[in-house]
Amino acid sequence: MSALVANVLKLAFVGMLYLFLWQMARSIGTHLGADVDTSRKPRRRTGQLTIVRSDGQAGTRVTVSDSVVLGRSPDADVLLEDPYASMFHLRLTMDGDTMSLADLGTTNGTYVNGRRVTGPITLNPGDSVQVGKTIMEVK
Amino acid sequence: MSRNAEAALLVGAAILAALGTAIVTAAGGDRPDAQTALTFIIMLAAFGSLHLAFRQWAAEASPYLLPIAALLTAVGLVEIFRLDARAASLQRWWLLIAAGLGIAVLFLLKRLGIEALLRYRYLFLAGALILFLLPLLPSSWPLGGVEVNGSRLWLQLRVFDTTVVRFQPAELAKVLLVIFLASYLASRHRALSTMTRRLGPLSMPEPRQLFPLAAAWALSLVVLVYQRDLGASLLLLALFASMLYAASGRLSYPLVGAGLFVAGAVIAAQVFDHVQRRFDAWIRPWDDFADSGFQIAQSLFALGSGSLTGSGLGLGRPDFIPSATTDFVFSAVAEETGLAGSLAVVAAYALLVAVGFGIALRARDPYRKLLAAGLTAAIAIQAILIIGGVTRLLPLTGITLPFMSYGGSSLVANVIAIVILARLSHEIGNSASPSSLAVASQLRGKGNAK
Repeated sequence: MSALVANVLKLAFVGMLYLFLWQMARSIGTHLGADVDTSRKPRRRTGQLTIVRSDGQAGTRVTVSDSVVLGRSPDADVLLEDPYASMFHLRLTMDGDTMSLADLGTTNGTYVNGRRVTGPITLNPGDSVQVGKTIMEVK
Repeated sequence: MSRNAEAALLVGAAILAALGTAIVTAAGGDRPDAQTALTFIIMLAAFGSLHLAFRQWAAEASPYLLPIAALLTAVGLVEIFRLDARAASLQRWWLLIAAGLGIAVLFLLKRLGIEALLRYRYLFLAGALILFLLPLLPSSWPLGGVEVNGSRLWLQLRVFDTTVVRFQPAELAKVLLVIFLASYLASRHRALSTMTRRLGPLSMPEPRQLFPLAAAWALSLVVLVYQRDLGASLLLLALFASMLYAASGRLSYPLVGAGLFVAGAVIAAQVFDHVQRRFDAWIRPWDDFADSGFQIAQSLFALGSGSLTGSGLGLGRPDFIPSATTDFVFSAVAEETGLAGSLAVVAAYALLVAVGFGIALRARDPYRKLLAAGLTAAIAIQAILIIGGVTRLLPLTGITLPFMSYGGSSLVANVIAIVILARLSHEIGNSASPSSLAVASQLRGKGNAK
């Protein structure tokens, strides 16, 4: 085998190693950089609330992308285990970076920072949202 | 990356193995023969069947695990073939066996669930301890230990005075131990991270919580002294310390663990000759070049003559290094593919470890997190110990390089570790569990789905 062929083969082998690694590293990079909870989905602007007080759901996180309806009904996007919540209680909407809340005309109402919500309202991080006995905090 | 991309990369790894084998054959002056085809077919069969099993029983599993394992196995097979064609053909058989066992483990995990591992944790602990101590059986028995190169690590099964199979039970014990530790620590991580006592400037948890660490230290010293195996002993202690760290988030555990080991090793070096010799060979390999420093010196020559792009496969002299197919396979690869090739190998391990810790981060409960972190740490620690050892960064410890070294037990154990990681990553995507966490993940899942 001539020295030239040997050199070409040598570099071909190492080159193929790196090609393989490059293919892997590229997609692993995006995979690891993604949000830990939504591992294989494209990153979207999302908002998050944490249930801070509740009979059974304390500590649960609610992730909002686009639009999410919370309520006591099993058909709601996010189920609230609270006897004072309506079947479809409120809607959270993401518009770009801002999250807004709308009460869906409920009997017991929704309270943001202690005030009853009348129309659509913009939520800021740290705001507290109360439905019946359940209190959520905006992240 | 999709399952199809995974399949394409697996074919790529098989082509790489075949290309390497062909280059080695050509460098010897022959035409590529059946060995090249056989390497290609067996790589494809082993990883292809694992891939199909993933599609069947872990469809959401991370698609990165298998290709990296295949790449490392391919490079290992090529270098083993270059050094010892007979060992390579044995290793190919082991690869098929490992794939078969991996598929069986995946099927069981799917049927019984990861929780099954939790339920029988003390069985796993007992199994691990027995496997660790099996090589101490008298070598005259049909199933007995053998001493190879001064370390008593091997178990051999003999029928009518012919050795049927040799196995390093510690490799499998390592996986069992991680399974036990993960379930043990998952139920105690709170107690381990609350520091209730103070000892001078150090705060420490309740002494009884420290019992496992003390037991680990004792076990690692027993292995060091009776089996004369510095590698397994270091691996054990590092594994305990890193899993305690993962469980408690307290840096003091690995620090204390390291301190304990150094203390133990210093004492062992005073009392036992073979430990002292190891340290001398590390610090001053040239003083006793012909004897204790020979291995490490040959390894350094190989690294040096490899230079940037290596001598070319089949064109170097890695056969000068003692046990080049097992512990020193990294030096052999470094000689023939140079710094470029050896850095690629290191990068592959780094990617594998990144993927493994990524799975641990995303896992949904402490047990799964610790299991993923522990299995990943085991692979990482082994790679660090032996690559560090052959480059004289660390004292040389006889330990296999995962996926690359010649050796059936190591290959089987590491494939099983990858399969468990795959199943863990599959479960991140699927949260149909009866546990109390189901509510939380259901809520989260629904919120995301919109």
